Amino acid sequence: MLGKLIYENLQKYGFPYPIDKRICSGWAKGVPKNNSTILYTSCMYQTASLNDFYSKLIPYAEKLSPFFFLGKFIRPKKEELDRAYSILNKIASLLKKNGIEFGYLYEEEPYSGAILLELGYLDEFKSYAKQVYEFFKSRGIKRIITVDPHTHNALKRYSEFIQFDIEVVSYLELIKDVKGITNETFVIHDSCLYSRFLNLRDTYRSLIKKGGIKIVEDNMITGKDTAYCCGSPVKAVNFELSEKIARARAEQLMRLSKNVLVVCPMCYANLSKYVGNIKDLAEVIE
Amino acid sequence: MSWEIAIERAINNNVPKVYKILEEYPYILDLAKRLREVKMKVLSNLEEYIEQTLEAVKKTGGNAYFVRDAKEARELVGKIVGKGKIVVMGKSMVAYELGIRKYLTSLGNEVWETDLGEFLIQLSDEPPSHILAPAIHLTKERIAKLLKEKLGFDVSENSTHEELVQKVREFLRNKFFSANVGITGANAVAADTGSVVLVENEGNIRMSTVVPPVHIAITGVDKIVPTLHDAIIEALVQAAYGGLYPPTYINITSGPSTTADIEMKRVSPAQGPKEFHLILVDNGRIEASKDEILREALLCIRCGRCHLHCPVYRVLGGSWGDPPYSGPMGAMWSYIVYKDPKPAMYCTHSGNCKDVCPMKIDIPRVLEYIKYLGNKSAQS
Repeated sequence: MLGKLIYENLQKYGFPYPIDKRICSGWAKGVPKNNSTILYTSCMYQTASLNDFYSKLIPYAEKLSPFFFLGKFIRPKKEELDRAYSILNKIASLLKKNGIEFGYLYEEEPYSGAILLELGYLDEFKSYAKQVYEFFKSRGIKRIITVDPHTHNALKRYSEFIQFDIEVVSYLELIKDVKGITNETFVIHDSCLYSRFLNLRDTYRSLIKKGGIKIVEDNMITGKDTAYCCGSPVKAVNFELSEKIARARAEQLMRLSKNVLVVCPMCYANLSKYVGNIKDLAEVIE
Repeated sequence: MSWEIAIERAINNNVPKVYKILEEYPYILDLAKRLREVKMKVLSNLEEYIEQTLEAVKKTGGNAYFVRDAKEARELVGKIVGKGKIVVMGKSMVAYELGIRKYLTSLGNEVWETDLGEFLIQLSDEPPSHILAPAIHLTKERIAKLLKEKLGFDVSENSTHEELVQKVREFLRNKFFSANVGITGANAVAADTGSVVLVENEGNIRMSTVVPPVHIAITGVDKIVPTLHDAIIEALVQAAYGGLYPPTYINITSGPSTTADIEMKRVSPAQGPKEFHLILVDNGRIEASKDEILREALLCIRCGRCHLHCPVYRVLGGSWGDPPYSGPMGAMWSYIVYKDPKPAMYCTHSGNCKDVCPMKIDIPRVLEYIKYLGNKSAQS
């Protein structure tokens, strides 16, 4: 049972699959450890490029479980990791520039439980959310700054399952003063969760506008309720379907521009195979 | 490749049209809001409304039945229709769910679907690929080939849409006028008057409900609304969100045909059917109505808008879900009527469906819950 397996991995490795936690924390230099406000990565940017690899193993996961410890030796490609680290550093510096102080939990940072929620393992999600909450409380954390939509969504939904009184805010809501650092014209591929569940669509669109980045819109491709998903969330269930959705979405986007802008590491990972020039928002602003 | 072409054409034809309709007729938004409220009222007290509806139909001189499942439904319809009859069917997804057409055929009846899309589905012997436009997966070229091969129609790849429709019209007209029984579904059933409301554009439903001497309406208990006023609202809202507004026809049937033209005494039959039967089907709906989350799915008015906004449907088409239910609504309904949680597992929670749903059903949340139920039953 996949949910049980993920839950066990979360207990053993602090992540849905075994991973060297130093991969998660490697980006952060000089960020204080103790602060009631934390920047919370849930190790999403750092590991998004491993999603394909692990999703392909899911059908064999139970048979492979005795060898899970070997996962500790699997690392994202260097260029993928460097890119993820530079995005996280950019987000950290944007927050500082906007006067926000925060800490980071380094290797102790727990995973959010998003995958349990999204795959419908709601009992496991509830029980895991409780552990995460208790950990945050034990560290005196009062405010969590998220950097990706899946983590933001999972934390925002904690209160449906457990008593949860920690403020959750996206970095997108905290940065006001931005400048675009690109002359290219982009098409935005919206994050489904930000756009249609978390009410942050206009937040990042206004940052893009403020930064003076040129964008191209088409109501049938980038409209609020016409824009399609990148396919990533279904990858663990059906790899091929996920790829087909990604390909179809990439084709649509590239009809508008060969430059695609995303706000989610999972969208980046799933679309980058089919899109020539794809950038995360944090890569084109400062 | 054929699916990709067909769905792209359908999306480009339909999606902008629905936006335009809602802009031009903004009262539809208020009607949809009201409809959600009254439907929720019924779903919170479904069994009582079923009783009320059955009574109301009997008062109009019609026959009314409640059936638990597909087997009961098939047996009842088989009993009413008998053998060796010609049966014309208006589009009914519930009839498909219950296997009515194939059952009646197996009894030795000649059965024809008369909605063009369903007619093509019958000819191709494929499951419907969309709740409103069942033959959405067939391109014009494939349809021409099908009509030529199955019925010998003089059509070709180059035939126009109009020519193809005309050929089917000629063929089906004969069937309507020789039919013994007309079977339809219902867009809504009014609990206060026992009236069945059907919305359509082709005229095939009007013919099926009026021309044959017997009319059977078969539908899910989820289609019950408190009043005839609400039932007409449901028809209007469904037509608008389906992208076909104003609808060409809205049919109201309250019992068999009657006249009061001799001394103002109301007698039956007159020119229309002499018998009217309403069959209300449970098949998992009542159980779902008792679950706070699944109940939401029963609000669905079958406009098919969620399909055309869903990234998974766009790729998988009608194969996503258990026929006749496909797309986001079909992933919910596959569980409700067939207890199949697998289609829900494919939901990527893109959320477009909930944003465009006229009933504001939080479809991703319902599907998340079905995933949960599916995971739990797999575990045990």
